[in-house]
Amino acid sequence: MAGERCGIVTRMPSSPGGFEMPLWRAVAVFRVASLAYVCLVALREADRYAHPLAGAGLVLLMAVWTAVTAFGYARPAWRRWPLLLADLGVVLAILLATPWVIGRAALHGGVPTLAVAWLAGPVLAWAVSGGRRRGTVAAVVIGGADLATRERISTSSLTGAILLLLAGAVVGHVARLAVTAEERLQRAVELEAATRERERLARGIHDSVLQVLALVQRRGADLPGEAGELARLAGEQEAALRALIGGAALPPATGGHDEVDVRTLLSRYARAGVSLSAPATPVPLPATVARELAAATAAALDNVERHAGGRAWVLVEDEGATVTVSVRDEGPGIPEGRLEEAQAQGRLGVAQSIRGRVADLGGTVRIASSPDAGTEVELTVPRSDR
Amino acid sequence: MTGEAGVERPVTGEAGVERPATGEAGVERPVTGEVGGPGRPVRVMIVDDHPMWREGVARDLTEAGHLVVATSGEGRQAVRVAPAARPDVVVLDLQLPDISGVAVIQGLREALPDVRVLMLSASGEQQSVLDAVKAGATGYLVKSAAPAEFLDAVRRTAAGEPVFTPGLAGLVLGEYRRLAATPAGPAGSSPGETPRLTERETEVLRLVAKGLSYKQIAQRLGLSHRTVQNHVQNTLGKLQLHNRVELTRYAIERGLD
Repeated sequence: MAGERCGIVTRMPSSPGGFEMPLWRAVAVFRVASLAYVCLVALREADRYAHPLAGAGLVLLMAVWTAVTAFGYARPAWRRWPLLLADLGVVLAILLATPWVIGRAALHGGVPTLAVAWLAGPVLAWAVSGGRRRGTVAAVVIGGADLATRERISTSSLTGAILLLLAGAVVGHVARLAVTAEERLQRAVELEAATRERERLARGIHDSVLQVLALVQRRGADLPGEAGELARLAGEQEAALRALIGGAALPPATGGHDEVDVRTLLSRYARAGVSLSAPATPVPLPATVARELAAATAAALDNVERHAGGRAWVLVEDEGATVTVSVRDEGPGIPEGRLEEAQAQGRLGVAQSIRGRVADLGGTVRIASSPDAGTEVELTVPRSDR
Repeated sequence: MTGEAGVERPVTGEAGVERPATGEAGVERPVTGEVGGPGRPVRVMIVDDHPMWREGVARDLTEAGHLVVATSGEGRQAVRVAPAARPDVVVLDLQLPDISGVAVIQGLREALPDVRVLMLSASGEQQSVLDAVKAGATGYLVKSAAPAEFLDAVRRTAAGEPVFTPGLAGLVLGEYRRLAATPAGPAGSSPGETPRLTERETEVLRLVAKGLSYKQIAQRLGLSHRTVQNHVQNTLGKLQLHNRVELTRYAIERGLD
């Protein structure tokens, strides 16, 4: 738990504590306010105490401890076990000393305890530092000690203990929520910054590198020998770079929590010789389905690379209920019965890795091949849970 | 060719000289329909903010016998210069420093309703290419296309043929599906207004998106080259019409409010 929180602190150097800070401040304010109440009660009831001098000493100790905790909890580095345990220990000691200071008879006669509401301080601190569970533990310890000091458990003292328990749980819950919200905000801010940076890079690359690479390729394409080769290489890099920044411009996820834009996944396969056609709007699929579909597409492209000279066209279509990815090449085509033969020989290939993956998603594969028109692999997967 | 080029000096806005070419109006009157034919040079205007690129493209075009009537590095300037330069085809980079590619296309088509726009883009920006097509551009090419491919695209654009890359076909296909999937506007519009592809058009567009040439498509579907071309053209035409209707409706709604 502590490590987790440290992580947040190191990632957010600009606002140490972030959303937690106001909570700690609220705890400090509560302690000061409840201390004022303690002083009032002690002044009014001092003449009924068995040991008034010791009572004054304890109130002084409470004041000192209130200052120590206000100061200590203000620093993120101090909000660790030593201070938390000391906090609980000091309040526990004051609680346990109460029967002796006030006297059992006086307590029985209706004199309020010394700490009154002030004893909730460590419960709140534990809850803010570690969530619901920690808050509850502290509440059980303090509440139990409070009940143990009483001769007779009255309804009001029981109510006090239950309120303490509730405060520990609720404040802990809220504190966790604040931390989670902060983490989410942080992630959103990081994502936004990354997207903006990528867009800036894309613009820069468009204005300079891409233009020059395209120009080199264009002017050198017809030159013989090494110059032509350089132009071809420039063209390949241009296509790769274009795919990269084009893909980066798309949002990595769209709306739903676990949905991924299929175009983003497929854009990394676009290179010189592989053209990617897709809608202008995101094609969202559940992350696992999208990844499997992309892997099947990659397998089809590998196959093109090996057997059909590498030139390929990929088309992504969003049909609403289904998503279809087609991969076409202009290679020599697959001879009749070749796929069945490979499968019969137990060789994993197109059949296994493409058909298997797509079938697992409840989709279908259509392979059309002819000697003069190359091969077309069409992968269709249903968009089940939409 | 060289003689003509001498008479018809390119209107270069670069140096701030915007010379209306009205003096030469009688010399070169474009005849729509025949433009791009074997005997006729195409009047081309190049709009691109990259000087090196402008020069390279201009050189290729001039060598191929076409006439570069103007070059510009900015969109606003291009729109200002166009009426005087009277290009048949504007070769337009979608990323300009001042205004968007769509704004340039709208401005050009207002000034010269018959002008044809061939978009070039280096980074293959998806949405902007689609927006430009909807605004009226009829051709699209990535900048890394080979010079021969580029010259062919200019010629075909001038002749009124749509020049599609597989990528553009994918975008157009996606756009029709998007329009069909989203309800046709809240303003009580009839469903008939949403443009739809016929089955044949969808088939043709899918094949274009998969990288088949018009010729290959014609062979596979048993159609003539011309018919395939018409199908592709219709897919663009419907989208552009829909866009104009939407813009008009938007303007009326805004005006009445």
